[in-house]
Amino acid sequence: MRPIALALWGLVLVVSTLSGRLELLLSGPFHPLVGLSGVVMLAMAVQQALALRRSSKRRPGERRWNRGWMLSALLAIAVLVVPPNPSFSDLASNRSSELAQEAELDFLLPPAQRSLTDWVRLLRSQPDPELYQGDAVRISGFVLAQGDGPAQLGRLLVRCCLADATPIGLPVRWPTGYQPQADQWMAIEGEMGVERVGGQQRSVVLVERLRPIPRPARPLEP
Amino acid sequence: MERLATIWAIFQGLLLEALPFLLIGVLIAGAARWIAPGGRWLQRLPSHPLLAPLSGAALGFALPACECGNVPVARRLLAGGAPLGAALGFLFAAPVLNPIVLASTWAAFPNQPWLLAARPLSALLLAVALSTVLQQLPEGQLLEQALLEERRLNQPLASVGLLERRSGLVGVTPPTPAPPTERPSLGAVLEHCSREFLDLASLLVLGSAIAAVVQTLLPRSWLLAVGGAPTISVLSLMLMAVVVSVCSSVDAFLALGFAAQITPGALLAFLVLGPVVDLKLLGLFGVVLQPRAIALTAAAACVVVLLMGQWVNLWLL
Repeated sequence: MRPIALALWGLVLVVSTLSGRLELLLSGPFHPLVGLSGVVMLAMAVQQALALRRSSKRRPGERRWNRGWMLSALLAIAVLVVPPNPSFSDLASNRSSELAQEAELDFLLPPAQRSLTDWVRLLRSQPDPELYQGDAVRISGFVLAQGDGPAQLGRLLVRCCLADATPIGLPVRWPTGYQPQADQWMAIEGEMGVERVGGQQRSVVLVERLRPIPRPARPLEP
Repeated sequence: MERLATIWAIFQGLLLEALPFLLIGVLIAGAARWIAPGGRWLQRLPSHPLLAPLSGAALGFALPACECGNVPVARRLLAGGAPLGAALGFLFAAPVLNPIVLASTWAAFPNQPWLLAARPLSALLLAVALSTVLQQLPEGQLLEQALLEERRLNQPLASVGLLERRSGLVGVTPPTPAPPTERPSLGAVLEHCSREFLDLASLLVLGSAIAAVVQTLLPRSWLLAVGGAPTISVLSLMLMAVVVSVCSSVDAFLALGFAAQITPGALLAFLVLGPVVDLKLLGLFGVVLQPRAIALTAAAACVVVLLMGQWVNLWLL
């Protein structure tokens, strides 16, 4: 039982790393650590299996089936079979969208090359909407439903794992009559405009072209 | 259905992030077994009420592991006969007092020098306080049964009564093999490591599942809504630390996201309590402490951290 349980968990770590599932779950710097740990666990499982085969005698008091190990092995199989498929919009609805104070841009890309995250950070550090009016915008993100207003285009920032995901969003003026569906990934081209909300001006993306896209391979931003 | 998919993904995220650290901790404990089989050096650690937890905390610098990896190492210290205060000091302080965590705190808050000093100092104070409180319980009521019996085999005869050392009694099966007097084979060490890893992984699975469910169902905005109120903010961030259950090596980056919304005392409380008490850890503590001792640890840690947070708010607000 021991080598099997160990091998299953090792397999979970290796498969998650190689299949790209980790891109949905953990920040990039952790990926090699997870993959390497999986390889170590698989090696330990092989060594344990060989050692068990060599010594046919079991120690007194040792049980072949341990209930805890068996349950965790079953769960490892479930993790292997059912890949993660989180609803980013649902996750974001439960989180505060405050960005870290230090989250400012070190350098500024030309407008059309800025990602959604770049735009949000820029608008936080220099929140004068007039500065960006007419700038070209080419961004992608998921539709982030807002309880009290039109949906935004959002991204999740992750420092460690999904547990610490922080949503960020950019206001979008959707084409008349278009109903964006929460969690749908979109690529938007357009330009930055200005709108007045609650007596205050803010930047808004004026959509010229939009198309639904599949979730990108690396949906989380650092 | 969406909610369920989110819980499943957060569960996997927490688990896949913690398993490598658990493996590192188990391998460090295994290496200690192999390098110093009898664990004589452990028994030479100070047992003075203050020096013991301080020496245990200092071990954190030598054995950098976050809170999940810490548990097997602390268990090894206790099993090897280390003074209770030193092992508990390590268990509670090392998740913060290690180079990786201090570096990540500095990276996250370079412009808040008070926090760089306050976090390790508070962790040290908390470890001393918890170690003092827990030592009021007799070892028999404090330590998990199998660990207690392994520990007694390694303690000097003078400090353990013959009846307490049950392995010598007629009709009693020895719960664990006698402590090795010579270096065990690599195969035996690996067998022990794999057994310990699987035991702890089962508990980690349970803790991660509870943490994933609670944090998906409890809106985080509720916890941050009271950010400006001195006492309530400390309490709510303490609750958040317990629920979120992220590893101590990265929790500073998480705190960075909401540092501007909360009081400084609440920020410190989050960074100090999380590495000692969280939903993911409570199961793991079961291999070291008895349920009553775990409850006492959680209660005492909450009281001490609340006082620390309050004091910081009085000082900085």
